[in-house]
Amino acid sequence: MTRLSDEDLNKVECALAEAHRSRQEPVLSADWACDVMRDIRQETAGRGHAMPTTGIARIVWQGAAAAAALALILCATALIDTSRDPVELTALLSDELEAGAPLVE
Amino acid sequence: MQTQVADDLEIIHRVLHGEIDLFAALITRYQQHVARIVNRHVPSDRVAEVGHDVFIRAYGSLPRFSGHVPFEHWLSGIAVRTCYEFWRANRREELPVSALTTEHQQWIERILAAESEDRFREQARRQEATELLQWALGHLSADNRLVLTLVSLEGYSVREAASLLGWSVATVKVRAYRARQALRKLFLEREAQEHDTTQ
Repeated sequence: MTRLSDEDLNKVECALAEAHRSRQEPVLSADWACDVMRDIRQETAGRGHAMPTTGIARIVWQGAAAAAALALILCATALIDTSRDPVELTALLSDELEAGAPLVE
Repeated sequence: MQTQVADDLEIIHRVLHGEIDLFAALITRYQQHVARIVNRHVPSDRVAEVGHDVFIRAYGSLPRFSGHVPFEHWLSGIAVRTCYEFWRANRREELPVSALTTEHQQWIERILAAESEDRFREQARRQEATELLQWALGHLSADNRLVLTLVSLEGYSVREAASLLGWSVATVKVRAYRARQALRKLFLEREAQEHDTTQ
């Protein structure tokens, strides 16, 4: 047999596609559906809530929002406090602080 | 169809509000649809197991179902992606060329010689065709296998395949081209080896 041409390969591809389409269709039984439902119920019962994903997602978002608000409040407080005393801010940022040395002369 | 879509939405809404057992109605309604999709991508003896995973995943993802597309379409995407995960998790069975017999070679010759449409179809439905297809698909990566099956074997458009796989159109286009080239290369190599052994 000679080397397969492009046309030959196209023909083989078409035949393979036909073979693929003619696969026998499977039939899933009622027992199979019951097994799926049993696993879903078990999974749900294990989580202890009907649809926990919605609950967890809400808690995560609420927690994140609370943390963000707290961080904003802390930042604002720190900015207000430090703007009252610029020397203290300089001192906080300084790497060359020595123990016992006066901060303000 | 419109009534069914509305009915699906009503069931989903109630399942999300705690009436879990109603999900069984969706399973009954779509189990054959899912089985048909899964059967085209995984071996027949694994269809029940993968189909099972599809519905478990669908249930778990239900809170993220927006309702912008029909549930059936959304479920089809989950089914295809579960099959993709199946091939990523399971080692491919790369059968060597020697696994193919003279019957397979003769099948190719008969296909190339088929003069009528009926004769062609009759040959295409033979067991050798299925075995050759499985042999060839077994050499492809999970990506190439899925794309080739959807686009080249089942005739989905690139856009439809992209929607089912959750990939970009460009990615599907490139992978579909590469997968087809890989398939053709396999047959050319197989033929070259056959040629060498007969000489």
